[in-house]
Amino acid sequence: MTKFKYVGRPVPRVDAMEKVTGSAVFTDDIELPGMLHTKLLRSPHPHARIVETRTDRAEAVEGVVSVVTGRDFPFKLGIYVGDRDVLATEKALWVGQPVAAVVAETEAIAEKAVQLIEVEYENLEAVFDARKAMEEDAPIIHERLGEYRTLPIFSPRPGTNIASVFTLKKGDIEKGFAEADLIVENEFSLPQVSHAYMETMCFIARHGADGNVEIWSSSQPPFIVRYLTSMSLDIPLSKIVVHAPYVGGGFGGKAGLNFEPLTVLLSKASGNRPVKLRLTREEHFTVAAIRPGLHATVKTGVKKDGRIVAEKIVYVFDAGANADYAVNVGRAAGYDAIGPYDIPNVEAESFTVYTNKLYATAFRGFGHMELHWAIERQRDIIAKKLGMDPIEFRAKNVLKPGISETGTGARLREDAANLEECLRRVGDALEWGKKPAKPKEPWKVRGKGLAVLMKGPAIPPNTASSAVVRFNEDASIELMVGTSEMGQGTLTSLTQMVAERLRVPMEKIRVASLRGTASTMYTWQTVGSRGLFMDGRAVLEANKDAESQIKQIASQVLHVSEEDLELAEEKVRVREEPWRSLTLAEVVMGYMYPGGNSIGGPVVGRGSYIATGLSVLDPDTGQGNPAVFETFGCQGAEVEVNVLTGQVEILKAFSAFDIGRAINPLLVEGQVYGGTVMASSIALFEQLIYQEGVLLNPHFLDYKIARMSDAPEDMVSISVENPQEDGPYGARGIGELTMIGMAAALGNAVSNALNIEIKDLPMTPENVWKAVTRQNPKLLERAKRYLKGE
Amino acid sequence: MFVTLPEFEYHRPQTVSAALDLLDQYGGGATVMAGGTDLLVDMRYRIRVPEHVIDLKGIEELGKLTFQPGEGLVIGATVTLNRLLEYDAVQSRFGALHDALEDMCDDQVRNRATLAGNLCTASPAADCAPPLLVFDAKVEVASPAGRRMVDLPDLFTGVKETSLGTDEMVTAVHVPEPPPDVQSRYLKGKRSSEDCAIVGVAALVARWDDPRDRVVRLAYSSVAPTPVRVYDVERIFRQDKPWGDLVEEAVSAALNRVSPISDVRSSKEYRVHLIDVLTRLALRELLGGRR
Repeated sequence: MTKFKYVGRPVPRVDAMEKVTGSAVFTDDIELPGMLHTKLLRSPHPHARIVETRTDRAEAVEGVVSVVTGRDFPFKLGIYVGDRDVLATEKALWVGQPVAAVVAETEAIAEKAVQLIEVEYENLEAVFDARKAMEEDAPIIHERLGEYRTLPIFSPRPGTNIASVFTLKKGDIEKGFAEADLIVENEFSLPQVSHAYMETMCFIARHGADGNVEIWSSSQPPFIVRYLTSMSLDIPLSKIVVHAPYVGGGFGGKAGLNFEPLTVLLSKASGNRPVKLRLTREEHFTVAAIRPGLHATVKTGVKKDGRIVAEKIVYVFDAGANADYAVNVGRAAGYDAIGPYDIPNVEAESFTVYTNKLYATAFRGFGHMELHWAIERQRDIIAKKLGMDPIEFRAKNVLKPGISETGTGARLREDAANLEECLRRVGDALEWGKKPAKPKEPWKVRGKGLAVLMKGPAIPPNTASSAVVRFNEDASIELMVGTSEMGQGTLTSLTQMVAERLRVPMEKIRVASLRGTASTMYTWQTVGSRGLFMDGRAVLEANKDAESQIKQIASQVLHVSEEDLELAEEKVRVREEPWRSLTLAEVVMGYMYPGGNSIGGPVVGRGSYIATGLSVLDPDTGQGNPAVFETFGCQGAEVEVNVLTGQVEILKAFSAFDIGRAINPLLVEGQVYGGTVMASSIALFEQLIYQEGVLLNPHFLDYKIARMSDAPEDMVSISVENPQEDGPYGARGIGELTMIGMAAALGNAVSNALNIEIKDLPMTPENVWKAVTRQNPKLLERAKRYLKGE
Repeated sequence: MFVTLPEFEYHRPQTVSAALDLLDQYGGGATVMAGGTDLLVDMRYRIRVPEHVIDLKGIEELGKLTFQPGEGLVIGATVTLNRLLEYDAVQSRFGALHDALEDMCDDQVRNRATLAGNLCTASPAADCAPPLLVFDAKVEVASPAGRRMVDLPDLFTGVKETSLGTDEMVTAVHVPEPPPDVQSRYLKGKRSSEDCAIVGVAALVARWDDPRDRVVRLAYSSVAPTPVRVYDVERIFRQDKPWGDLVEEAVSAALNRVSPISDVRSSKEYRVHLIDVLTRLALRELLGGRR
């Protein structure tokens, strides 16, 4: 058990009461005086030139304040590649792309007027399949790709639909395959999916007549919103304030920049009155960014003894119409292409490709759920061909602390996470080696499967965080951090860290719920499972700074050296003579001697952290160190499949992550349950289905996501805690990790149960039935015979 | 999909005759509303744009739910799915209907949605329709001319189309009391645990031991423009043939009667496969060791 009072304890969330009672404020709760509303007109065509837009009929509607089109806002947006229009300007690139907007006194008026805008389009040839989009004669979606502002770590190929390509090269791939006793090549795929967060996106902006801009946004990263809005719209950064209320789930979909610049421009165009843009769920499905699809080709060379000697990979990410954020998904999947394995000879190319569909952005796992689907299915297929146990095959090849090298040639630190331990723990939990119990009905079969995984934050090498710990008169504390609260609970963990070090009870530490760029401390973005680690490190520094200020004052009053003082029970006291003490309240605003002379002053602890030791990866080989930590883990499942209908039921789902230390075990469990259900949902149900670019399932009736009744009956989180020296209390990140391996684990379990190889997601009943029909028809025939009572 | 509803006038009559007067007065411009869970969605999509919405929930008579031996079940037009689900007689005598209710939409929607509404929406995927078809249900229809009983198959005329006139409304659903030894099930193929039917099969068996008097009925959802009952089945099961042959004939009869399509929810091939296996599963569950 933990030796700490707060850290490592399953304390309830600091925001629990606010959220349970409904008093927590989200962006859509905010109403400003004189606020206007907007509705967007969406393109009905997947690829079309905008010839002419007539807005006069919409403008004539009573209550309409302004009507704007793409040509009114000639700015390009994007975090990594500036390829995104505010509103479609020259061309519409997908069905649903906003091409015009109406701002009106009410949402109803805006909605009515927006139908009256007439747009004349000239249809262009469209392309919907990412691999076809890479062919030479494919229609080009972004003719100006070469002119876009692009971060130098990305490699767009102007004149093609390739937004970027990342290349990983290690060892000698030809030599590796020559040494192999067995070469296995497979193709895998996953469709585009929706984030399906609970809170639909909402934005409010006010562009004041004085040039000052205020934004309220359901956004994961207020500071990046400020930075990118400033850069894209050429507004000085100092004139922009971004407020960040609670976020009702983001999963990456609310990272980077969304509709903030549009809302700012609409306010400016509407007499500087504040404008609210809120998307309905149905609008989300056609307007908002999604997760890219992936097509993977994996070729692996192994020795008879199970050692992997070579792996060649091609990932093609279907980014849809814009790739401003997706290029980094492709890049992260490229440098982690082989997953948590030590393979001497590697060649991987990861393409991010434009198509005329919804555009992709970050999504929980950032390409890693996708790539692990491919490589972890491939591992099971290879193990089967070798006649090796899948656990032993993996154990032989996974990265080991202090010894192994990752795909980018970074040596694993001595205190790195222990993957083999996670693998064994999940194997034990699943009673590996023991046959699953027989299902009740003879037409059902059971199987087990597992997958290992890795991920670190995919961040720029200079990513930073900061924190302030500010005392109040009663020795309560304002903790100021930039991390957004979107359900993950980091604010609670950070509060635990402050309570632990400064010996103040948690209920006396407050993190304001309505924060923003003007009222809290800088952090890059709340993404990539980085918050606890990086903001945590900044909080530790701030704690240290505050503690030292307290001791400095107390040492003068108590006449002992600072080293002999300690904090305990809201006091500062002499370690060896604890009865000699001062209450924190006497010290933290400055100490006043009985005669009135005062020393010190209000205690304000400040802390900063910047990632260190990261490299800009080699542009030709991708070699270098991309991550401040890597969390390793293993996920496993036992499933029951109805052979007759193809329906999959998840009986057990186990996850083990080496997170160094669980700062709050309840939050870790919550992440594991959430990640497991989300991954199960994506593995079994979720897909955006298009016909000629038109989304056929733009609502939850036909875009199926898991309900409570789909959650595995038996879900277990196994904590492995090998601390990382430079992590806060030894901790590593966990948020995204919890869903990265589960899809592949389920794919392995279903394949194992049916004695087939599933290579494409989702495993809907129909897809499973089709796969059985194709690959193991005898199993289906047998099940049908049982049904007939033979 | 709009955020706002189209403009309409809302009426909340207290009696059936007042509701009928309103229908008569506004003709095609009016629609009645029970739970509203289908109507309001259609209105947000502008699929239906009525100028007058007549809310039936204020009419006491339409809230009645009774079961009388000999008479059977009478379900008023505003009885919610959850109320029906909790009604003892439904669970003990109308197993297939109970199965369908239990697996319909979700708890929140069931608190609002009604059985009569489900039938009047006339979706091919209506979960309550196949059970009611095998139970020989009738709908009670009122108009200024009086009341008439309509056999359920005659209510459905096409995809989301009914035989109701613009001045008519359904006031209740009548389900006759089934034979004492009746057993029934409703099985459905779904994409996840809570889904509308990809294929729904209601099966009913009574008086099994007397082949000449035997009652076996099958009805389906999501396999044709309307929910369908396969009447041939009854004759098939009265033949003196081995069990296996009877089931084969019944499955063929069902497949002959239906016309499944491919859509975003399922391919035609998978629907055909589900009709086959779900029919067999349902019959097997009902007959167990008795065959």
